[in-house]
Amino acid sequence: MTAIPPTSPLPIDNSCRLPLFTLFGGAAVWLALSSGFGLIATLKFHAPAMFANCASLSYGRAFPAWSHLLVYGFCLPAGLGVGLWLLARLGRVELAQPWLIAVGAKLWHLGVLVGLIGILAGQSTGFEWFELPRAAAVILFLAFLLITMWGFVTYTRRTQASLYPSQWFVLAALLWFPWIFSTATLLLQIFPVRGLVQASVAWWFSGNLINVWLTLAGLASTFYVLPKLTGRPLQSHYLALFAFWTLMLFGTWTGIPAHAALPAWMPTLSGAARVLMLIPALTVGASVILTCRGVKTPCAGGPLCYTKFGAACLVLASVLLAISACPQVSRITDYTWFDHGQNTLRIYGFFAMTMFGAIYHIVPHLVGPDRVCPRWMRINFWFVMPGTLLLALPLVLGGVAQGLKLVDASVPFVAVAKSTLMALRISTLGETMLALGNLIFLFNIVGAIVSYYCSVGKAAYTEATALEPARVKA
Amino acid sequence: MNAEAKQPSPVRPESEPTSAATTVPMWLIAGLLGLLFLGAWYFDARGGWFEAKVYAPYLSLADVQRFQPRTGGPEDVILRGKVLFEQNCALCHNPDGLGKPAQAPPLAGSEWVLAAGVNRLIRIPQLGLSGPIEVKGQVWNLPMAAMGVAYSDDDLAAVLSYIRNAWGNKASIVAGEQVKKVRAELGGRNQPYSPDELKKEAE
Repeated sequence: MTAIPPTSPLPIDNSCRLPLFTLFGGAAVWLALSSGFGLIATLKFHAPAMFANCASLSYGRAFPAWSHLLVYGFCLPAGLGVGLWLLARLGRVELAQPWLIAVGAKLWHLGVLVGLIGILAGQSTGFEWFELPRAAAVILFLAFLLITMWGFVTYTRRTQASLYPSQWFVLAALLWFPWIFSTATLLLQIFPVRGLVQASVAWWFSGNLINVWLTLAGLASTFYVLPKLTGRPLQSHYLALFAFWTLMLFGTWTGIPAHAALPAWMPTLSGAARVLMLIPALTVGASVILTCRGVKTPCAGGPLCYTKFGAACLVLASVLLAISACPQVSRITDYTWFDHGQNTLRIYGFFAMTMFGAIYHIVPHLVGPDRVCPRWMRINFWFVMPGTLLLALPLVLGGVAQGLKLVDASVPFVAVAKSTLMALRISTLGETMLALGNLIFLFNIVGAIVSYYCSVGKAAYTEATALEPARVKA
Repeated sequence: MNAEAKQPSPVRPESEPTSAATTVPMWLIAGLLGLLFLGAWYFDARGGWFEAKVYAPYLSLADVQRFQPRTGGPEDVILRGKVLFEQNCALCHNPDGLGKPAQAPPLAGSEWVLAAGVNRLIRIPQLGLSGPIEVKGQVWNLPMAAMGVAYSDDDLAAVLSYIRNAWGNKASIVAGEQVKKVRAELGGRNQPYSPDELKKEAE
């Protein structure tokens, strides 16, 4: 909370370059690929015969491939990369063992690839958000440990003793994932529990992954990028603390749907926790508004824009989550498109947008300020922002309409399924815009990395081939 | 101009963000307490207090037990017997106890069912029956398997109590102890009775 003298960040940026290139570059590739599978999955609603002869591209494999690549391919590496950057920058210390972190990142991407191949080959586990086969899960776990270990070493070596809120969120996220992921892997894949317990473990895991982990990692970035770019202090330390503890306290209970066939206390407790998740969401909303109030910094499709939009989506998604926890609503919305729309809003609208903002803020520090074209960054924003809304909101509204028809016994099931088509058409449009936006993101990030290495190579070549007038003079 | 161009060059010293010390507003604390209260109330009303047997739509253990078959008075025994009868016996003897023409004899009004003592009656489902049997002046000849051998004492007693008190029948309730006693008398016997042999047993 006290003013800290500015330091030269050059050695810190140098230490972050290789691991962050590996994490962000891979994340951008997986994100673009995930959009491809998302497009195939959503187009199946309109042209079921498309790729009908190819088992790997059937809906039952393309859709899990989409969610696998989105969460494990993009969200986790992007969140890790931003988290490591924050630990180094806020601790005023160089990243520990950048080479080993880069190896861990490569291992992570290998795990994602193994998972993708497994899913396309039909080896998916069938648990939503945990579709990756066992081998992939083990590789991902080891890779995460390898990366997270050096994150903690960086943290302990910090020269700035007092902590900034973003650091709490990063550290909690680094501890949270090994806990939930090892539990899910052990109880669902290595020593599978029986019957309904499997479903409750899977729901607990996906609730923790999407409602807690993504929020922890995303908020670490939100609470850093907003004050950094607006030049105002974060409003405030205590609001961040309040959001931090309420998020972890309530978020971990939220996974079980209201009409799960489990003993009544589980869905009931989960419903109460979903409503209580309003508190951290409103706290974040208040904090963002107070921090950005009266700030003249232009938004202009830059990192600030992405981050603000992300925070708004977090609040909206949390309101939807709380509404759908009320029993009168959940009897309509449970097991319809509503939940998927809400999750999409949280993953794309909040997390991915916040990560885009953070990555667009960080990458110029790594490659030099002129290598990411601001216009393409802006175009990217104007593709993914409307794309997210067009993807998520029709699913939310269409889910309500679908649920109202489902509870009406006089409407045949086929008619219910057909009535969702209009919402799905709009969300296909949104998915298409997102896919284009994600391609632009890939192009921007890979372009920046390639142009950086080209210039490094060029400089090395010039230096090696130059005459040496200095020595001649001496 | 755009935001990117305004950012400081990475080689220049850069200050990292700080946080202000404004406290958490009262409305958030009040909101948290209010939602906690609502959540606790909701859990108390619907959660069944961590009871593993309570599933929706039931709200508590007492609520679940209200819908379980009771094992108290004779009505409960007969009710239990009705369930078992309709699962296992009604296929041949019909749910209305009138039997199947030329195959299974009726139980409604049958002198075998309505006998004062149940010593003979218990042996029929326990071991089965073969050979011609006269019921209500008509001779029936289809072997019956030992349908009741797998029942517990109380369940067999419940089925017999039901057939002795359904469809206009009126006779005493059979107790589990009576079944137990007969089963002990039968020892290791596993051959079905014939009606003539059955008549040699005490009523």
